[in-house]
Amino acid sequence: MATPALDIRNLSVSYQTDRGELRALRNINLQIPAGRIIGIVGESGCGKSTLISAIIRLLAPNARISEGEILFRGDDLLGLDPKAMRALRGNEISVVFQDPMTSLNPVLTIGRQMLDVQHREKHPKAKKRARAIKMLERVGIPDPAEQLNRYPHHLSGGMRQRVAIAMALMTDPGLLIADEPTTALDATLEAQIIYRLQQLQRDFGCAILFISHHLGVIAELCDEVVVMYAGEVVESGTTRDVFLKPQHPYTRKLLDCDPARIKQATRKLPVIDGSLPDLLELPGGCVFRPRCDRCIETCAIERPELKGDRHRVACHVAGL
Amino acid sequence: MSDLLLVRDLRVRYPLDGGMASILKRNRRAYVDVVHGVSLNIKRGETLAVVGESGSGKTTLAMALCGLVPLSGGEVYFDGKILATGKDGCLRPDRRRIALMFQDPVGSLSPRMTVRKLLAEPFRIHKGLSDDPDRSALDLLSMVGLGTDFADRYPHQLSGGQARRVGVARALALKPDLLIADEPTAGLDVSVQGEVLNLLADLQQEMGLGIMLITHNLNIVRHVARQMSIMYLGRFLEQGLSELIFSHPRHPYTAALLAANPSPDPDATPQRVKLTGEVPSLLQRPTGCEFHTRCPRVQADCRESFPGRQSDGGDQTWNCFHAIV
Repeated sequence: MATPALDIRNLSVSYQTDRGELRALRNINLQIPAGRIIGIVGESGCGKSTLISAIIRLLAPNARISEGEILFRGDDLLGLDPKAMRALRGNEISVVFQDPMTSLNPVLTIGRQMLDVQHREKHPKAKKRARAIKMLERVGIPDPAEQLNRYPHHLSGGMRQRVAIAMALMTDPGLLIADEPTTALDATLEAQIIYRLQQLQRDFGCAILFISHHLGVIAELCDEVVVMYAGEVVESGTTRDVFLKPQHPYTRKLLDCDPARIKQATRKLPVIDGSLPDLLELPGGCVFRPRCDRCIETCAIERPELKGDRHRVACHVAGL
Repeated sequence: MSDLLLVRDLRVRYPLDGGMASILKRNRRAYVDVVHGVSLNIKRGETLAVVGESGSGKTTLAMALCGLVPLSGGEVYFDGKILATGKDGCLRPDRRRIALMFQDPVGSLSPRMTVRKLLAEPFRIHKGLSDDPDRSALDLLSMVGLGTDFADRYPHQLSGGQARRVGVARALALKPDLLIADEPTAGLDVSVQGEVLNLLADLQQEMGLGIMLITHNLNIVRHVARQMSIMYLGRFLEQGLSELIFSHPRHPYTAALLAANPSPDPDATPQRVKLTGEVPSLLQRPTGCEFHTRCPRVQADCRESFPGRQSDGGDQTWNCFHAIV
């Protein structure tokens, strides 16, 4: 098999806090094959943002990567010196953030910012400008040459997010990380952005790591899904397998909670009882055990490993 | 039953002064119409959902009703009485009876106050409602399902869902009649979202609260709101019973919005209504119906005047000349 675009092996990240060591990510294993779209779902606080920060090395100063490897096209990112990492970031690995208003500079024109991202290339300015226009056209922005002279506040939310995507794709990255890019938009614009991302992914062939709360968006856009809970991967597999045949009790409950899947209108929405475990004092055994209704004795003693071939799940009772 | 809140033709415009551009270009309009003639009513014990994308004026509408931004037109009746406006043009509602839950749960709590202090604060301001503010604060805490050990935490020690609960407790501290909840579940995952919405539903049943729920999450509207209004560029395009609107949208924008909502079924084939173009800027509000620049059913008359409210006699109204039959 070809080398995956990103291969995360046994990654653990912890934060040093006043109350002790907070183990935010524990033994994460995750592959993103070249040219595929992988979605990550999980509650807030499950470590999604820490994972992104670890990949692009923008972790908070009190964070420490205690073990593991992050292989990008076969090379370990953790071994790179800051200069090499900087050359990669924004060039080979691009990020689209949640809020396009804060990720674009409000006092510079769109054109200036789109030329700035090409600072590594030794082309004349006119050529860079032409490339920027072409890129804006590809993300579906009307009248692109005109837009280059405008400021971010002139554009609507959907347009700003498309500019952010255009900027991220400008350098033809091998991996695009999209952190909840459609949260601020209404359903019609969300659908437009998803459709655009799908199309661009086919054209550029880059791998996409897509993070979202919205299960519907994941189901429509992603080839594969990774379900995270309290800093661990609990289930991963193709979108069809995970959504139609969920194995882990957490995944099942999460899917059951989605109001979009409940056809009959109800005043009482389902919830997952209990709350996330305290990451400073992790219970032994399976992290989901306190909230699980299928747990057995082994769950309290032994931590389940992520097992399986294509559809992987970390649970002692899955499949029983 | 009479309406708890009745709003007629509410308008809010923000001035555009101060910038060089507005001084130089004298012909430019010196304001933006953010809420452009909105009418609605909410009954006691009922929830109205206001749906629309960011920038459609939902939050401004909420702030105007709470007296935080000045009105430029319209009338608001609360519990049968008209609300007066002050010198600054803002409404003067009885703040004890209308509560607002802000969008950002942590940002709306003072970072330097403990949960106990935050919850006791309303009672210190509105004296005479509680003999023992601290005791009442703890009661509120248990009402929203948080243990007493949360009383001495600061906002940064709370998770998003817990901060929301404190927000709910604070909003309901003075037993208001109307709660305006601005995106109460934005940024929450589905399970925590369910918890917050269930809590609101329970408290609504207990206290007979009217709720105005502002959201762009269509999936929750169907479950929690009996009535809904679809907002676009400061106007309501369709209003009525959620059930009717979901099963048979009449306005083309509503239809597109409902069809665009992605389904969590990987095998579903989306039946999208294709919308072209961009949301127009409020600075250049299109003439006639604001939606005509993106509408698949647009005809000449749409560009000339804004369609009046239409209905077929049922609990659903829409503003469209060429509505879906």
